[in-house]
Amino acid sequence: MIETFYDVMRRQGISRRSFVKFCSLTASALGLGPAVVPQIVHAMETKPRIPVLWLHGLECTCCSESFIRSAHPLAKDVVLSMISLDYDDTLMAAAGHQAEAIIEETIEKYDGNYILAVEGNPPLNEDGMFCIIGGKPFTEQLLHAAEHCKAIISWGSCASWGCVQAARPNPTQATPIHKVPGIPAKPIIKVPGCPPIAEVMTAVITYMLTFEQIPALDRQGRPKMFYSQRVHDKCYRRPHFDAGQFVESFDDEGARRGYCLYKMGCKGPTTYNACSTIRWNGGLSFPIQAGHPCIGCSEDGFWDKGSFYQHTTDTHQFGVEANADKVGLAAAGIVGGAIAAHAAVSALKSARKQGGDNQ
Amino acid sequence: MSTFTTPTGFQMDNSGKRVVVDPVTRIEGHMRCEVNVDDDNIIRNAVSTGTMWRGLEVILKGRDPRDAWAFVQRICGVCTGTHALTSVRCVEDALGIQIPENANSIRNIMQLTLQVHDHLVHFYHLHALDWVNPVNALKADPKATSELQQMVAPNHPKSSPGYFRDIQNRLKKFVESGQLGPFKNGYWTNPAYLLPPEADLMAVTHYLEALDFQKEIMKIRTIFGGKDPHPNWMVGGVPCAINMNDDMAAGAPLNMVTLNQISSIIDQTRDFVKNVYIPDILAVGQFYKGWLYGGGLSGINVLAYGDIPDRANDYSPGNLMMPHGAIINGNLKEVHPVDLRNPDEIQEFVPHSWYQYPDEARGLHPWDGITEPKYELGPNTKGTRTNIQEIDEGAKYSWIKAPRWNGHAMEVGPLARYVVGYANGHEYITEQINFVLKTLDVPVSALFSTLGRTAARALEADWAGDQMRYFMDKLMANIKAGDISTANTDNWNPATWPQSVKGVGFSEAPRGALGHWIQIKDTKIDNYQCIVPTTWNGSPRDSQGGIGAFEASLMNTKVERKEEPVEILRTLHSFDPCLACSTH
Amino acid sequence: MELTQKQTAVYVYEAPVRLWHWVNALCIVVLSVTGYLIANPLPTLPGEASDWFVMGYIRFAHFAAAYIFTVGFIGRVYWSFVGNRYSREIFHLNLFNREYWKELVHEMRWYAFLAKEPKKYVGHNPLAAIFMVGIVVIGSLAMMLTGFALYAEQSGPGSWQDTLFGWLIPLVGQSQDVRMWHHWGMWIITIFAIIHIYAAVREDIMSRQSLVSTMISGWRMFKDDRD
Ligand code: HEM
Ligand code: HEM
Ligand code: NFV
Ligand code: SF4
Ligand code: SF4
Ligand code: F3S
Ligand SMILES: [Mg+2]
Repeated sequence: MIETFYDVMRRQGISRRSFVKFCSLTASALGLGPAVVPQIVHAMETKPRIPVLWLHGLECTCCSESFIRSAHPLAKDVVLSMISLDYDDTLMAAAGHQAEAIIEETIEKYDGNYILAVEGNPPLNEDGMFCIIGGKPFTEQLLHAAEHCKAIISWGSCASWGCVQAARPNPTQATPIHKVPGIPAKPIIKVPGCPPIAEVMTAVITYMLTFEQIPALDRQGRPKMFYSQRVHDKCYRRPHFDAGQFVESFDDEGARRGYCLYKMGCKGPTTYNACSTIRWNGGLSFPIQAGHPCIGCSEDGFWDKGSFYQHTTDTHQFGVEANADKVGLAAAGIVGGAIAAHAAVSALKSARKQGGDNQ
Repeated sequence: MSTFTTPTGFQMDNSGKRVVVDPVTRIEGHMRCEVNVDDDNIIRNAVSTGTMWRGLEVILKGRDPRDAWAFVQRICGVCTGTHALTSVRCVEDALGIQIPENANSIRNIMQLTLQVHDHLVHFYHLHALDWVNPVNALKADPKATSELQQMVAPNHPKSSPGYFRDIQNRLKKFVESGQLGPFKNGYWTNPAYLLPPEADLMAVTHYLEALDFQKEIMKIRTIFGGKDPHPNWMVGGVPCAINMNDDMAAGAPLNMVTLNQISSIIDQTRDFVKNVYIPDILAVGQFYKGWLYGGGLSGINVLAYGDIPDRANDYSPGNLMMPHGAIINGNLKEVHPVDLRNPDEIQEFVPHSWYQYPDEARGLHPWDGITEPKYELGPNTKGTRTNIQEIDEGAKYSWIKAPRWNGHAMEVGPLARYVVGYANGHEYITEQINFVLKTLDVPVSALFSTLGRTAARALEADWAGDQMRYFMDKLMANIKAGDISTANTDNWNPATWPQSVKGVGFSEAPRGALGHWIQIKDTKIDNYQCIVPTTWNGSPRDSQGGIGAFEASLMNTKVERKEEPVEILRTLHSFDPCLACSTH
Repeated sequence: MELTQKQTAVYVYEAPVRLWHWVNALCIVVLSVTGYLIANPLPTLPGEASDWFVMGYIRFAHFAAAYIFTVGFIGRVYWSFVGNRYSREIFHLNLFNREYWKELVHEMRWYAFLAKEPKKYVGHNPLAAIFMVGIVVIGSLAMMLTGFALYAEQSGPGSWQDTLFGWLIPLVGQSQDVRMWHHWGMWIITIFAIIHIYAAVREDIMSRQSLVSTMISGWRMFKDDRD
């Protein structure tokens, strides 16, 4: 007997009544009338688990590590009862040919109906051979699996933005999934973060399974439900920011009182993530709560925005590294000096001229 | 093909059938393995290839040394934090920064937490399926399973027949669904699996329990470091300030509440290791103690740098609670000291690695290290540049460099540490090893095996749990004595730094000895080199024909079925390979 | 920028232009000072957060000035349609006109003490014209675009600021990049202002026409009758 979606929900303590109610909500969310509710109920009661191929490119496997930290739902329940994790090289029993065969089997059986989850990204340099799987570039595996999937989840900052291997000078030309040449036009859900929060990862999956639709995405393809606000917007240290109370140096009086970490370089004001709301590891804490500034780990290219301990970013735009305040102050100084000199010469000239006029 | 003998005495030849395993799964990162299996199903030649490279050492150039920890932490999310710790130690060494006692205790607790977590997750979620057959567990009698568990792990509360029946039913449903998920295409009919169904059911149950429990362990690091994976660190100490009794203590990262939480998780962690992990290892060992392949270099050349400084800022072997030293040629009577600064001791070679040096006959000490990728395949490769069928190990064949200690390929990791500790007469380690040998009724030589590696890891997790308690008590005692300092920021400002300095930081990562070397010029990183545990273990060959620990461990192993690589996986997994680490 | 005939006074800057000029100048000062303090906050204050609202007030001043600045700019654009012909000047730059380039060279020679005598202009001199368009118009636009994109982050998705300006963030890179460019903009405008004020005062003294008083009374006075 197949453990269906309904079984899973029942096991999680959801009553039949609320299950049906939930199905009708789903119906209206999908713009369908009440007539189709029984159909949805039936589908949910009998539907097999959706297959997921979880590919790994250049990455650090920390997104997988984060995933297994999920408390609600437990990673165990996601893997055993919600999805069918057919391919994931970090967890799967099979290896070599037997592992590779699974991708083909899934494509054959579920063409257009499986989810492709990607952790990491492919390098484009050296014909892709900075990341080899089965003797071939990872890019090939990625494009092949993407061709037949229903939707792509880009796990973490690697798949979403490029992350650390794409930091300057990006020696392998590591490329985020949506920018890989030849990537088919499938919906891509970016779940950035280095890594993303465990419960955010499982919530994205649960949402897709429960509501049978892709979560609403923002302009940059991230689920609005978790990425529409900055860490700063709901940071519990925000009152200290507004008051002008900052940690001036690590382990000072302010650090011991939980003052704002802005002056320590906090990127909370420019980072879209749910850390200050959902928090980490079962809602326990998040970087700022533990006294370290946010380094902006869910943002595109956060590695290349200057020191993590400096709130203002250096520019690298003109081949040089420069800080606006340093350059600006210096330029203002130079301009001021030049003006003084110019004024002096002007005064001299006009004095002379006046002298000449007088003659 | 001709036979040759490696410097460590392995007879290799290229005869027999070439078997390729790519991808090697249930590891971190990407790896390929090729072996030659002769007509008697014995492995005669083993080739391991690291198949990914990201270029962290290149990316680090020109950056702020205080940021380095965050970059290198992303070398790996499995041994998350160990690179960060090594990096802050490295920068502190270069700049002569002394950290407060509390920071040392906190860092140690974080590192020990990682040891326990990584070992536990490795055993249950990456390694267990090499020993445990979940399909076979369906045949188990839940009542007999319950009795087995009560016998081997009397202190673990979850042991009723009903409990095992529920798990078995869930497993049954899962298997009957036809959607086998991660268990799909496993080698479940292979005679290499030796456990009786009851032991299989017990282990599968603990697979699930461990999956639930591991996230609890890491909460310790979430409190200290804000999140896990990839908690936060800092040069000069730790970012989590302490405030016990002053104004606004509730807003401090560490106060009575959060420290209580940590303390309680430490207790739960120790219970789990002692009541579940260790008994499971002994149970598996009992059934597999006849399968003692996989020793490789472990009885020949092993290396450990040591870690867990008791007092802050003293990294001399006497102050390190984890073993330090090198053993060569199997001579356990002599443990050599290791000097990470000596330009002649630790060197990296690239004649068989996809990198180039101006002179590849010579090795480079990491302070002078060069990381310049060069992908090319040897003339005997079968396949093409982007479709390798069989690799040519006579040429460059891996993204892993080949580190050597005084010219020797070395094994690192829990077993290496335990061998060094045993040779050094480390009391606790000797006691643990003797206990296991006695319980399983095997000779000391059994230690040098795949099973020995797996057992050493479990023993180390147990040890680490105990030390977590030690440092937690130490932290509280120090706070009680009036010291709440967690960071030294005297040299935080780069303006205080010398123009040109170099430093080295090391640690014992879960997978073995880890070193980072830095050169700082004009406040920026001039060169940053890492030699990582899996760089040692997964090392390709050197110009003397010396083979690394992975390759050595596979030699002479008998496989049951050439087309089902379960023995290869079992032995490779016993190292807990981390390929993202190895190449970085 | 036509050369004057023999005139002694021309009504150049109508009242709205003068009002805008001084309001705008004040806004820029407030925006630069508060902006600088947003990036480099004042030293920490002790005690409870609820006792203070320093960053809050600084940011409020920034946003208030930003709105006045923006409304002023829109008003100025409007006036360029209905005002006199000089009111259109700051939005015009005739880069394809040979005459313009010739005069620009002359103006630069004048500032470099190479030309003996300055020319007279009813409106902007050619050098000023470049700065007016490049810095005052384009610079202000850039500050408003980036500023409102940053503002959209706090007003949140669905707000009009986000609808109108939110697209800018992924276009530029990410939020931190937008901040960085906004910050650079402050320095560019500040430096313009320094030069502008110096030039205005200097020319008032040395050139053959009035400047500072023109921006107060609206009348350009010429000191001689020559071309
Ligand atoms: C001459 C015009 C302006 C100048 C010189 C200026 C200057 C600055 C500076 C220096 C910053 C700090 C940036 C950093 O943290 O590195 C800033 C922040 C900001 N500015 Fe402006 N700004 C100007 C106009 C505007 C306008 C028109 C708006 C539109 C609403 C605006 C909105 C903002 C916002 C929202 C911030 C971020 C404040 C925060 O999040 O705390 N600015 N500005
Ligand atoms: C942030 C500060 C300032 C800015 C952005 C600024 C901007 C401008 C602009 C855009 C114009 C051209 C007006 C038009 O044609 O619509 C102008 C003209 C002028 N400004 Fe300013 N101004 C600033 C401060 C000042 C100050 C402090 C003074 C006086 C000391 C001054 C004196 C003048 C004068 C004399 C003119 C007329 C120039 C002419 O007749 O060609 N400005 N300014
Ligand atoms: N090898 C390795 Fe690590 C460990 N343990 C590194 O230092 O795993 Ni990712
Ligand atoms: S996004 Fe960060 S955490 Fe995730 S795999 Fe990439 S480097 Fe690791
Ligand atoms: S700590 Fe960071 S996110 Fe929190 S209020 Fe301060 S600047 Fe914002
Ligand atoms: S560093 Fe990352 S984890 Fe959250 S608080 Fe910042 S986005
Ligand atoms: Mg290296």
